[in-house]
Amino acid sequence: MKRSQSIAILTDVHLWVPIGVLILGIILLMSLR
Amino acid sequence: MSENLTAARGRSTLSLHKLGVFCGLTAAVWLGTAEAPTKLVNAGLLDAAFAPFILSMGMVMGAFVARWTVPTLLKGTGFIFSDLRDKPHLIVWALLAGMLWAVANTLTIFAVRNVGLSIAFPLWNTNSLVGLFWGWLLFKELRGSGVKGWSKVLGGAFAIVGGAAVLAYATASESETPGKALVGIVAALGAGVLLGTMYIPYRKAYISGMNPLSFVTIFTFGELGTVFILTAVKVGGVANLTTQLHLARPMLFWPFLGGFCWVIGDLFQNFAAKYIGIGRGIPLSNTNQLWGLAWGALVFAEFSGLSTSAKALILTGSLVMIAGAVSISMADPGPSELVNWKQARDRECERYGLDAVKVAAVVAGDDPLAEHPPVRHWLEAVVMIVAVGIFVWLGLGTVSQHLSLNMPWMIVLVIGTILPLGLCGTLLWRRTRFS
Repeated sequence: MKRSQSIAILTDVHLWVPIGVLILGIILLMSLR
Repeated sequence: MSENLTAARGRSTLSLHKLGVFCGLTAAVWLGTAEAPTKLVNAGLLDAAFAPFILSMGMVMGAFVARWTVPTLLKGTGFIFSDLRDKPHLIVWALLAGMLWAVANTLTIFAVRNVGLSIAFPLWNTNSLVGLFWGWLLFKELRGSGVKGWSKVLGGAFAIVGGAAVLAYATASESETPGKALVGIVAALGAGVLLGTMYIPYRKAYISGMNPLSFVTIFTFGELGTVFILTAVKVGGVANLTTQLHLARPMLFWPFLGGFCWVIGDLFQNFAAKYIGIGRGIPLSNTNQLWGLAWGALVFAEFSGLSTSAKALILTGSLVMIAGAVSISMADPGPSELVNWKQARDRECERYGLDAVKVAAVVAGDDPLAEHPPVRHWLEAVVMIVAVGIFVWLGLGTVSQHLSLNMPWMIVLVIGTILPLGLCGTLLWRRTRFS
């Protein structure tokens, strides 16, 4: 993958919204008993 | 508007909106049916603390097997790899979507355990409203659709969630609520947010011209990898995980079968997300609660002890859900909304250097590659044999909970599940060649 494409991915809001939700979800899941 | 009506030479001229609606409804049938095998699981064989993780792992392993075999059968590995090479950046989003699903699915099992299916289901059903919000915010769905379009879609989505809540209220007496209700409610709502957010990668892939069959092939790695890591951490290492899976062996066939049905439903849900967007496609596929209810009521006789008023509420909730689905089905996107869809597509083409003409053709169901029959490789036959072998092996020596089944109703529902698969599969083939 080209460097420009990697930058396009890393600066895409479509990436960070799901990542943020995923992190919160994992924290919630691991805290359940 | 024209892109929604035209079709390649020799193909069906069915509008993409109608095709997407059929896909959404077929998804609902199969996603609802996926619940039926899990009712036969005898979870008493497992350590209670780990049961939600092991059950989720079983379902995901079944989904992994199905997700490799169905795309291979329909399109061949050559097509799938060519599609992925064309848009390699989307591999990141496909993995991310699989990870979101894996966490959400495990949360739903916690929710069902703590508050019962009838309360948990409508709570995580709010994922359609979350998806609708992301579709509007990030992909310009519903923008320019006018008050009439908005009211049909938003009204329909709220009707489906409202109908789900009525069904939950009516069937609440059926569930055993063992306390820890707050944890269950938080888990169900969390699953709703995760599932609603999972549709961001779906929509992004499809407005970039990726084939849903390619997307799910990568999705499954994110899904299986995440569940494997989470389960291993939770049970205290890979060795303990192996022990737990060994304990679960006599009932592992049922979550596997549920995972298989879930994959069929998910594939149609992906095609619905492609052709009518997530704002419309997801609420339609979320009517799966009706099918889950039909299995519970007609085959497993779960509601035989309910009062007349509770049965009337179930009927009311079901009718409200159906009305919501009809409302969304009639909300065909107008020309001004399609302009906004095109803008969202152009953003992806500019950002990732995609061929805008080719992407437009694929989005309209006319993938140029689809006209060429897939080149088959002998390894595909091996994949099929291994997949069937795994199911047969798990099926041998399987035990289930001793539940009385209503066989005539089961036959009716099995036929009612297979018919839409054949019908919608034929429509998809005739209109898009599964593109």
